[in-house]
Formats: sequence, C-alpha cells, structure tokens
Amino acid sequence: MSASNDRPMQAEPTESALRNALRRREAPEGFADRVWARVAEPDSRKPIGTRRESWLRIFAVPLARWAAAAAVCVALVVGGIYYRNVQRERAQGEAAKQQLILALRIAGSKLQVAKSKIHQINANRVATDQSESHEEKE
Amino acid sequence: MSMRKITKWLLTLLAFTVTARAQDVKIPPDVEKLSAKAKETVEVTMDGPMLRWASKFLSADDPDEKKAAKLVADLKGIYVRSYEFDKEGEYSAAEVEALRSQVRGPGWSKVVGVRSVREGDVDVFFKLQDDKMAGIVIISAEPKELTIVNIVGPLDLDQLADLGGEFGIPKLDRKTLPKPQLKAQGEQK
Amino acid sequence: MAELISAEQFPAAAEGDFAGIVRRYQAMVYSIALHFLADPSASEEVAQDVFLQLHANLSRLKSEEHVKFWLRKVTSHRCIDWQRRRRPQAVSLEDAPDPPALNRVEDPWLSRRLRQLVASLPEKPRLIVILRYQEDMDAEDIAEVLAMPIATVKSHLQRSLAMLREKAARAIGEVTI
Repeated sequence: MSASNDRPMQAEPTESALRNALRRREAPEGFADRVWARVAEPDSRKPIGTRRESWLRIFAVPLARWAAAAAVCVALVVGGIYYRNVQRERAQGEAAKQQLILALRIAGSKLQVAKSKIHQINANRVATDQSESHEEKE
Repeated sequence: MSMRKITKWLLTLLAFTVTARAQDVKIPPDVEKLSAKAKETVEVTMDGPMLRWASKFLSADDPDEKKAAKLVADLKGIYVRSYEFDKEGEYSAAEVEALRSQVRGPGWSKVVGVRSVREGDVDVFFKLQDDKMAGIVIISAEPKELTIVNIVGPLDLDQLADLGGEFGIPKLDRKTLPKPQLKAQGEQK
Repeated sequence: MAELISAEQFPAAAEGDFAGIVRRYQAMVYSIALHFLADPSASEEVAQDVFLQLHANLSRLKSEEHVKFWLRKVTSHRCIDWQRRRRPQAVSLEDAPDPPALNRVEDPWLSRRLRQLVASLPEKPRLIVILRYQEDMDAEDIAEVLAMPIATVKSHLQRSLAMLREKAARAIGEVTI
C-alpha cells in the first residue's frame, strides 16, 4: 500500500483492523487481459466521432483483412464468454470461502469467550480463597 | 418376516439415516424464525463437498487462510446460526433448552457450561466416537445475541480458538481482562 | 490539467506503457471498487471502465502521481455512479440500513465484518474511509480527490470511525462488565 505522507501509523485497534480489512486485493486473474480485450474491441463505448471515423475506414480495408478482423472479434467474444464463466465461478468460490471464514471466525470467537469466562471465574475463585485465607490468619 | 424384525430393521435404517446426516443439531423452527426479529442474522450451512470446494479458494500464501484450510481438511460440515437483536428478551429460555437437549444424548459430553446473569450463557459440547473428537456444538446465549455453532468432524480446538484472534483482529488478552466480579455466577464442568 | 503532453515528456503517455499502468494500479482500482460496492463482478466491471477511460485520456496526464490521483478520483466517482444507477440513495449515517442477509452470509466475521460495515456506510463517508485506510491518504488528499471541503472529510471520518469502532468492539466478543 502506498503512503502519500509521513503520518505515523495509528496504534488504535480499530484503525489497525480497518487497515487490514481494507488492504488492497489483487485484481481477478486475467483482469489486464480483459482490459486489453476491451481496448482492442471495435466497440460502441468509444466517442461517437471516433466511431464514425472508424466506420468509414472499414470500407477502405481489403476483404481479406476485414475477414481476419471479424475472426479476431469472434475470438474475443468467445474468449470473453470463457473469461466471464471463469470469473463467475471464481466469484462464487470467493463467496463460499468467505462463508467458511465467517463460520470459523464465529466459532473461534465464541470459544475464546468461553475460555475467558472460565479464566475469569477461576481468577475470581483464587481471589476469594486468598481473601478467606488472609482472614483466617488474622 | 415377523413384525418385530421389520420394526427392528426400520429402526436400524432410521438410525443409519440419522447418523448419515452430517448436521448434529437440528435448528428448531422457532429458532429459525428468530431471523425475522433479529437486526442481523448470520446463517452458514456448509456440508463436506461444499467445504472441500470452498477451501480450494483459501490462499496458501495467506497464513490465516492456510491455518483455516488445515483446520477444515477433515471436517464433514460447518453450520452456524447467529442472531443479533436490538433489545433483550427476543428469544426464550425454552428455545435455548430445545437446542441443548439435542446434545445430551449418548456420545455427547458437555465440557463447558458458563452462566452469567449479565453476559449470558455459553455451553460447549464435544461429540466423541471411539474416544476421538467427532464434532463440537457451541451454544452462546447472550442478552441480545443467540449463536449456535455445529462443527462435524475431528478438529483442533486450539487452532479453532486461535482463529478467533486471526484475520486481523486482536486476540483476547488475559492481562486486559477486567478484575473478577464477585456477582457473576458461573460453574465449570 | 487538460494540457497535451508528448510521449517523450511522460513515458506513460506511450501506448506501450498503458499495460504497465494497468499492472501497477489494477489492485488499487479494483480494491477501491470492491470495498465500495462489495460485489466482485461489479467491481471488475467498474475497474475495467476506469482503465478504458484512462486509455482514452492518457495523453492528458502529466506524471505518475497524476495518473494515481486521476485513477483514484475516477474510480471513486464511477463507484458512486454505479451504485446510484442500481440502488436507492443512501440515507444518513444514523439511518444506514443493515445489509441484506445474503451479503451478511457472504462476509466473514470481524475483519470482513468491518468491510461489511464499511460497505453499509453512505457513499461519501464510505469512500473517505476506503481512501483513508486502503490508500493511506490524508484528509487533504481525500478532499481533493472527492472535491469536498477538508473539514467535511474530517467530520465524516470521525463519525464513521466512531460507529465502526463501536460495532467492531461488539463483534470481537470481548467480556464486558
């Protein structure tokens, strides 16, 4: 993560937890490829003026080159569909993973609560025993 | 075949069906309905195949996720229901008892039972098969939160408790615990 | 800012280095979107749109720092636009609705619960928290990216942190007396 200044890191637990929780995540696999695929598309997202100019240029291209360009577009679409399926499965897997981590986290925290309560009770008993033994001595 | 034999056969089949089901604790309908009253609900239901699939996405490069992967490797299921309420009294003692009664049968041992008027109750039950840990049920009944956790399969409790302090959140530290209150009631088995 | 710069003055303006910019900043852009929208597929779509827009505007950007600033700014605004097209307007911090059950099941406890809590903040406070704690930006930089007064940024940050702190403390399950 980049730091734009020399501000000291906060020691406060919530802020540390937030930094950890909001740390950067890697973009999905193949993200850059998909960006390039969209950049390379003869797509409708480009400004209208550019689109019109491209449209006129197409008719100046020989038939063979136009057929090759069409084949590339088809390959990109098919590849795009494949990537979307992979992306969907990955998203579903990530969601399942988060469920799993959530469940373990809840179970772990409840066990910790149980442990701490037992420790508290034991400490309480020790304190009571010590207090009674002190009174007996007096 | 005599009626007695048929009955015995049917009971055996039923027992097999029951034991084949991964989940140990069936959530009563009244408890499931608590999600309507809860301001926040967490429901996780993951059986063996789902666990295997989900754990494939745990990263070996992340130390926390690596621990989690190791923990769940032999598990048969994880089931969680957690309900957080705006105010106290949104669930009844009878509803909690309906959960506890399911883990009092043979094969179950209650290892922790803590009662606190202010903080609520926590019960931890182990399931043993052939002297080995086969599952755990945790029932946490706090004034504004009810949580039931059922993990089926062998697991390392220390690792699980450790995960309670992982994923970027500080662990509970004994040194920072407040001084004991003589008013709190508790029992330990 | 709209001044055209030649490729020699800023290497990133060259087509060949667009790939390098994507590699260097894809995590940053994707993460801002992900933490804001809490939806991996929507986040990727927003992130792709941002880089497409960057590609169209690359020649206008003066330096690496300018690229980073531009990406943060455009990503922030695209996230808000995306959300507004698909969801009702966010209410005030006090009235922020709880996330629906499906999203709660997908998010883990605690650490990820923080992400859930962050995702439930109204738009501007949410972006401020993300830029502060993901990107480690100070209030001045955040104010510039979001075109807001610094005092407003600080106020949002303070209130958001107080709410997150209170809910996170409850989520940890500490023994309280």
